[in-house]
Amino acid sequence: MQKCGLFYTSYAAEDALFPSRFQKGCLALFFAALLACPLALDAYAISVLNLILIAVIGAVSLNLLTGMCGQMSLGHGAFVGVGAYGAAVLSNMGLPFFAALLGGGLLAAMVGMFFGIPSLRLKGIYLAISTLAAQLILEYVFLHWSGFTGGANGLPVEPPQIFGYSFDSDASIFYLILGVTTLSVLAVSNVARCRSGRAFVAIRDYHQSAENVGVNLFTFKLQAFGFSSFLAGIAGGLWAHYTMYITPEQFSISLSVSYLAMIIIGGMGSVLGSIFGAIFITLLPEALNLITTGLAGIAPDMSALIIPMKEGVFGLMLVLFLIFEPEGLARKWRLTKAYWKLYPFAY
Amino acid sequence: MKRIIALAMLALFLSTGPASAAYKVGVLSDLTGPTSSVGVSYAQGIKDCITYVNENGGINGQPVELIQVDYAYNVQQALAAYKRFLSSGIVALQGWGTGDTEALVKFVAKDKIPVFSASYSPHLMDPSKAPYNFTISPDYSTQGRAGLKYLRETWQQERAPKLAFMFPDNPYGTVPIAAMKEYAAELGFEVVGQENVDLKAIDATPQLLSLKKVEPDFIWTGGTTPSTAVIMKDAQKLGIASTFLTNIWSSDEDIFKLAGEAATGHFGIQAAAIYGQDVPGMAVIRNITGDTPQMTHYLRGFVSALVMCEGMKMAAAQGEVTGESLKNALESMRDYDPMGLAPAVSFFENDHRPNMAVNICTFREGKLEFVKTETLERKMEWLGQ
Repeated sequence: MQKCGLFYTSYAAEDALFPSRFQKGCLALFFAALLACPLALDAYAISVLNLILIAVIGAVSLNLLTGMCGQMSLGHGAFVGVGAYGAAVLSNMGLPFFAALLGGGLLAAMVGMFFGIPSLRLKGIYLAISTLAAQLILEYVFLHWSGFTGGANGLPVEPPQIFGYSFDSDASIFYLILGVTTLSVLAVSNVARCRSGRAFVAIRDYHQSAENVGVNLFTFKLQAFGFSSFLAGIAGGLWAHYTMYITPEQFSISLSVSYLAMIIIGGMGSVLGSIFGAIFITLLPEALNLITTGLAGIAPDMSALIIPMKEGVFGLMLVLFLIFEPEGLARKWRLTKAYWKLYPFAY
Repeated sequence: MKRIIALAMLALFLSTGPASAAYKVGVLSDLTGPTSSVGVSYAQGIKDCITYVNENGGINGQPVELIQVDYAYNVQQALAAYKRFLSSGIVALQGWGTGDTEALVKFVAKDKIPVFSASYSPHLMDPSKAPYNFTISPDYSTQGRAGLKYLRETWQQERAPKLAFMFPDNPYGTVPIAAMKEYAAELGFEVVGQENVDLKAIDATPQLLSLKKVEPDFIWTGGTTPSTAVIMKDAQKLGIASTFLTNIWSSDEDIFKLAGEAATGHFGIQAAAIYGQDVPGMAVIRNITGDTPQMTHYLRGFVSALVMCEGMKMAAAQGEVTGESLKNALESMRDYDPMGLAPAVSFFENDHRPNMAVNICTFREGKLEFVKTETLERKMEWLGQ
């Protein structure tokens, strides 16, 4: 929390990612708690944490593209898939885990930049449709290029191995995923603060003004596509190594839509929002599952009615969010912080 | 308010119950997702079978307890659900779709949890690739081959029968096509064309028009019941005289609701009996369901759980029932007859195809009618293909 009365004596201090000692302390405590999770939680809870962490990378990368640069993408799930297949193939060829992960990311970046080329001419809903085309084309490639992807039969992947140690349990791979996620989130936070990030925001806010002040639209839009797809590829590589088996079905349009839902619920253009969104969208079905199973236990006859309600509740939550908190969970978080900053005085 | 919450928590706690000595089995179901129209029925079959087994002595006196999760056909949710099952100490899993079964292949092998799924992808039958995966029906390719064999046997004319394929361009649709084409050539079919029809298609006229030119005698469809119904209705509209052969998920009791009379006279492949069919187990099914007809998917779910329970009984007879002992027991299962509700089941250490047989049905007078059980030779070169 930023305390009242905190004032800066240098530009560097004002620009710092974590300006106050209190913030750093909170973050350190949060990380300590996260690191202790595998000691305290069961395999189920850790696996959900792993899914959340992978979703965070996907959401934060899409937010960079859509939330910060204003480039709508409906093909993000396929870019995740490119990274997954790339990393899996490289890993199966015997490359070390991190090299395979980076390779997958770079492949996804190249593919993402290729499909980002139309973004110079297209924007908004038109760009959305062009990226949807990317999704369909890539899904076709995943299914039919069986020499590379295993086609309909899918592709088995070995769990990551680093210096002979195999990360084959939920708890061990958790640390690996946590590390990569932290780096990704830090990277996006820093990109947002640097020259490119400012150019992205300028393009999002009004492309002509951005061009007038000297922002090269094509370069920066491609940069946004490239960097965003690179991170999506990293998320895919982690997913492939975590699940150890990838098939084309895993990277369908519904994955793209769920990433979009994450950044809308979390808050467009906000790194923290992407994290909140990823947590919310991953946990909501789990929570609804626990509730419906619990209720079905109390009233078995009602289960036939309660269980189908789940999807409806999920949809309703999304609609309510869009109506009552269109700027997402990130804004709610800011308001909560502001409330406590001023407490007990309202103004 | 606090009291109400406390009471609700207590009720929830009591409803989950204390840890019993029951054998726990996870059930991964699609009750609300895109395949729920068949998933609900299949899941009910599993549940009813477990109730039946428990009422008839359980597994050597121990009951089987099901933990069901609706994963809405989402791979991520399936993964989380599987971990939840694992934390609850399951010994086996009743799975569902292709995507989730494949995503779990490595996990179940590592955790030694046998899985019975309703996905019949060929590579799930190969223990060298999927050592803990089991099904109660042979793979999609074998099913297709058996269907073709039946068509060839019934073919009366001198010339070679002409065959075309219609399937969705997704993993489930494409997986058996290459194997079927190869076997069709071996049987003396002339393959004259193939077309893609999406699972959500509402019109198949363009595809049928291009097939009409080559005049196939038989058309294989691999989709879901709604997409098959679209194809059959459009074929009738265009005056196409071909006979359709549909795969296991492409036809069920709903075919007449969706396609009406256009379905009459065509054939479908099924792995389990049809409700009311004259088999020994039907009396049990009628009793459990109170004589309310159920879809064939229900019977397939029932058989899937029945075979698993038989494996558990075999494992219990040898000692403790664990995932590993269940797998070993299943691999020693030979010609187990699931009360005639499906062809007899045998698993081998190097071959998890339960049998090489499927039931051929025809659609007549608004109903599915059993025609014949078509059996193929168990060829090792077909395993996983």
